[in-house]
Amino acid sequence: MSAVVTPRHRVARLAPGRIAIVAGVAIMAVVIFAAVFAPIIAPHDPYAQSMLARFRPVSAEYWLGTDQFGRDTFSRILYGLQITLWTAFASTALAMVCGTAIGILSGYHGGRVDRWVSAANDLLMSFPQMVAGIIIVALLGPGITNLIIAIAITAFPAFYRMARSAALALRERDYIDACRVLGYSDIRIIVRHLLPETLDDIIIVATLWLATAVRTESSLAFIGLGAPPPAATLGGLVRDGFDNLLDYPGLAIWPSLAILIVMIGLNLVGDGLRDANDPRATA
Amino acid sequence: MLLKVEGLRVSFSVRRGWPFPKTHELKAVDGVSFDVRQGEAFGIVGESGCGKSTVARAILRLVNLKEGRVVFNGIDISRLPVRQLRRLRPKLQMIFQDPAASLSPRMRIGDALAEAVRVHGIASGKAVDRLVRDALNEVGLAPESAERFPHEFSGGQKQRIGIARALVLSPSIIVADEPVSALDVSVQAQILNLMARLKAERNIAFVFISHDLGVVRHFCERTAVMYLGQVIETGQTREIFDAPSHPYTRLLRSVSPVPDPEKPALAEVQEGEPPSPLDPPSGCRFHPRCQFVTDVCRTKTPVLRPFGGGLVACHHAETLPPAEL
Amino acid sequence: MSVLVVDDLRTSLQINGGEYHAVREISFSIEEGETLAVVGESGCGKSMLAMSIMRLLPSVASITAGRILLDSLPIEAVSETGMERVRGAKIGMVFQEPMTALNPVLTVGEQISEPLRDHLGLSRREARKAAIGLMEKVRIPSAASRYSSYPHEFSGGMRQRVVIALAIACHPRLLIADEPTTALDVTVQRQILDLLDVLRTEGKMGMLLITHNLGIVAGHADRVAVMYGGDLVESATVTDLFRNPAHPYSRALLASLPRVDRDLSELASIPGRVPTLVNMPDGCRFMDRCPHAMEKCNSMPPPADVGDANLHMVRCWLYVQGGEHAA
Repeated sequence: MSAVVTPRHRVARLAPGRIAIVAGVAIMAVVIFAAVFAPIIAPHDPYAQSMLARFRPVSAEYWLGTDQFGRDTFSRILYGLQITLWTAFASTALAMVCGTAIGILSGYHGGRVDRWVSAANDLLMSFPQMVAGIIIVALLGPGITNLIIAIAITAFPAFYRMARSAALALRERDYIDACRVLGYSDIRIIVRHLLPETLDDIIIVATLWLATAVRTESSLAFIGLGAPPPAATLGGLVRDGFDNLLDYPGLAIWPSLAILIVMIGLNLVGDGLRDANDPRATA
Repeated sequence: MLLKVEGLRVSFSVRRGWPFPKTHELKAVDGVSFDVRQGEAFGIVGESGCGKSTVARAILRLVNLKEGRVVFNGIDISRLPVRQLRRLRPKLQMIFQDPAASLSPRMRIGDALAEAVRVHGIASGKAVDRLVRDALNEVGLAPESAERFPHEFSGGQKQRIGIARALVLSPSIIVADEPVSALDVSVQAQILNLMARLKAERNIAFVFISHDLGVVRHFCERTAVMYLGQVIETGQTREIFDAPSHPYTRLLRSVSPVPDPEKPALAEVQEGEPPSPLDPPSGCRFHPRCQFVTDVCRTKTPVLRPFGGGLVACHHAETLPPAEL
Repeated sequence: MSVLVVDDLRTSLQINGGEYHAVREISFSIEEGETLAVVGESGCGKSMLAMSIMRLLPSVASITAGRILLDSLPIEAVSETGMERVRGAKIGMVFQEPMTALNPVLTVGEQISEPLRDHLGLSRREARKAAIGLMEKVRIPSAASRYSSYPHEFSGGMRQRVVIALAIACHPRLLIADEPTTALDVTVQRQILDLLDVLRTEGKMGMLLITHNLGIVAGHADRVAVMYGGDLVESATVTDLFRNPAHPYSRALLASLPRVDRDLSELASIPGRVPTLVNMPDGCRFMDRCPHAMEKCNSMPPPADVGDANLHMVRCWLYVQGGEHAA
C-alpha cells in the first residue's frame, strides 16, 4: 500500500506554514496568558489613582511608568489586553456563527432568498469598515456589548461571503446529490456534509479577522467610541496617552506596541494556516 | 410495472446574448416516456447534450420537472411532497459517474454507509455494523474498508463503495449515470459483472445511462436511444443494435468502435455534429444530418410508433433500406 | 524507412530520493505512413512514453537509457532550443483536450499561421492563405470566414480539427495523437479518426496513436503495442494481436471488453489493480494479477526481445525457451 494521508494526519501537511504558525501561536500564547492572568501578574491595581505617583518613568516598581493619574501603565495594558481580546474573540465568534450559518443557508437554498440576502450583504460591505463601525456604535450607544455587536456586524460580510460561495460550489457536487438521493434532510446535509467541508476556510478567515477586530476595537476606542472609562482597552490607552504625547511619549507607545504584537501574532497564525491549507503549496 | 416515466419534460433557462442577455428556454428533455420492469436493466444511450443524464436526475427529483409524471410502484413521485418522497428514497438509488465526487470526502466509509441505514431506521445498534459489513462484502471490499476514507481507494473501489451505499438501503431500482465511463477497461468489467450479479441475485432494476453502446448491449435488456431531448428509438437492446431502424441509431451503431480488425468499418461517415439543444431543428430533429431526409422530415415532427419489435420516431421507418453493419 | 525508432528506452522518475522506472526497456519503430497504436490502462506509462519522445518530460523524470531516432536523427543529441524546432516542424501533436492546446485569446487563424511563419518562413499574406488551406484540409466548413473566430466559438470536434491543422502545418514526419478523441462524442470521434487516417496517408507521416480504446485500435491502427506498468508487454500487427493475443494481460484485456456487435455471457475481469509505481514488482509487473504466474516471474523481468520486434513480440516468461508452461 502506498503511504496514506488521512484527514487526521493533516498536521503533517502543515509544513509550509509551520514556522509562521509556531511563531504566531507562541506570541498568542504569551498574550492570552498575560490577559487571562492579568489580576495575578499585574503588579498594581490598574484603576488605583495616586497623585503622588503621576508620570513616573520606567522603574523597578512601575515597569512601564505611570500616567497622569498615577496609574501603573503595565497593569493597565494587561487589563486592557483582557478587554481588547475578549471584544475581538466575542465579536469574531459572533460574526463567524451568524455569517457562516446565514451564508451556507443562503448559498444552499439559492433563488430569491439568496439574491436578497446577498444584496443586503453587499450594501453592508459597501461601507468602509470603520465608518460602519462608527455608525453602529453611535446608533447602539457605548458599552462593551454594543461594541462587540458593532464589530461583529462589520466582520459579518467576510464570513457570509466565504460560506455562501463554498455552499454554492459544493451544492453542485455529486456527493450532495448523493445525500439527497439517500433521503437526507436539508439540515442533515448542511450540518453533516457541507459544513465540515467549509470549516477549514472559515477558521482561517476567523483568525485573520481576529486581527482586524483588534484593530477596529482599538480604532473605535481611539476616537472615543470604545469601552467607557474607567475600563481600559488598548485603543483607549493609546488615546489617553496622546494627551501627553510630547512630554510622556511612552504612555501612547507602550499600548501601541501591545496592539502591534497582538496583530503580528494573529496574522502569523492566520497566514500560516492559510498557506498550510493551500493545495498549491502542498502539491 | 416498477417505474413508469410519462411525457417527461425538463427545461433550463439560459441567459445568452450581448450586451443585453435574454433568457432562453433550453428544453433538455422534451417529452420522454418509458417504463422499467422489476429486475430489468433499461439503457439510455445518446451523445453529450441529448438529455440522458437529465432524465436520470429528473427521475430522482434532483432537477425539477416541467411536465410529465414519474410513477414508481404506483405512486406518482413527481408531485410527492418532499417528506413523503424522502421515505421512498431508499427504494430508488443512484450511482454516479465520478465515484470520487459522490462520496463525502471527510467521512469514513463505514460512517457514510451507517448514516444512510440509521436515517431510514432500517437497523439500529450492532445490526447497523453488520449491515454495513455485509454490503461491503457483497461488493467485494474488505470489512476493514469501513475504517478508511474515500481518498484511500482507487477509482474502481470507490465505485464499489458507491454501489454498497445504495445496497444498504435494499433498493428496488438503481439509476446509474455513466457508472463505468471513468474507469479503465479491466475495472469496468469488474463493476459491470458486479452490477449484473446484483441484478440477477437481488432482482434490482437499473436505469443505465451510457454513451458506450457496447456496455449497454452487455448490460441492458431494453434500450432507448435519445437525440436532442427526445427518444427516437426504443426496444430490445439486441434488436436495436443488430438491426437499428432509425437513421440516427444506425449512425451511432456504425461509428461505435468494434474491437475486431477483420470487420471493416463502414466506408464513409457524413460530417456534422448535433445542433445545439437551445435551437433544435424543426420537424424531425435529426433531419439536417440524415441521409434519407425528405420534405416531410423538415416540417413534421415524427412521433414514436411501433415498428419491428420496438418503437421508432421516423417518418420513413418502413421504407428505409436495411442497415448495413 | 522508419520515421521513429525507439531502442531500449528507459525513463525514470525521482520520487522521494528513490528512482522508479516509468518506462522500462521499450523498443519499437514506426514506418512512413504507418499507425502504431499504444494501448494500456491508466498508469501504464503510455503518456510518459510520448513525453519522452517529445522530450517534454516533467522535471522529476528523465531518460536514463536508450536511443530515440526521429527520421534518423538521434534526438538526445539535439539541444533544448533545437528540440523546440524539431517539435514544431518534425513532430505534430494532438492531445485529448483541444482547448488546452489552443490559446484562448488568439484567433484560430493566427494560431495556425504562426508556425507557418516561424518554421517555414512564409510572409503574413502567404501564411494566411496557407492557414485557410489547412483549415479546408481538416474540413472546417467555411474556413475563410472562420479564420478570425476564437477557439471558444468552436465545438469540441471543430477545435480538435484546428489542433490537427496546427499539428500538420509544417508537414511533420511523425504525428503523436494522445487520446485524441476521448473527450469527443462517438460520431465526432469517428470523423476525427478518419481525418487523421487520410492526412497520415497523404502526408506519408508515421502516427503514434495513444489510446485506451481497443475498438479504435482495431479500426485505425496497423500495428499495436500493449503496455502495462511501464513495460511494453506485447506488440504485433493489429490483426495478429486481436486474433492471437499472447501475453496474459493482452488476453485478459480483450476478454474484458463489452461488444456492441455480439452478446457475451460474462466479461472476463482482471482481479486487483495496477500497482503504483513505487510498489511495482521487480520482476514481471503483471505478476500479481496473472493467472499463469510462476517462480521465475517474481525474480526477474522477462526478456524484452522474445520474438521478432516487427512481427509479434511478447514480453512474458511463458514464451521463453525452457519456460515451465507452454502457452
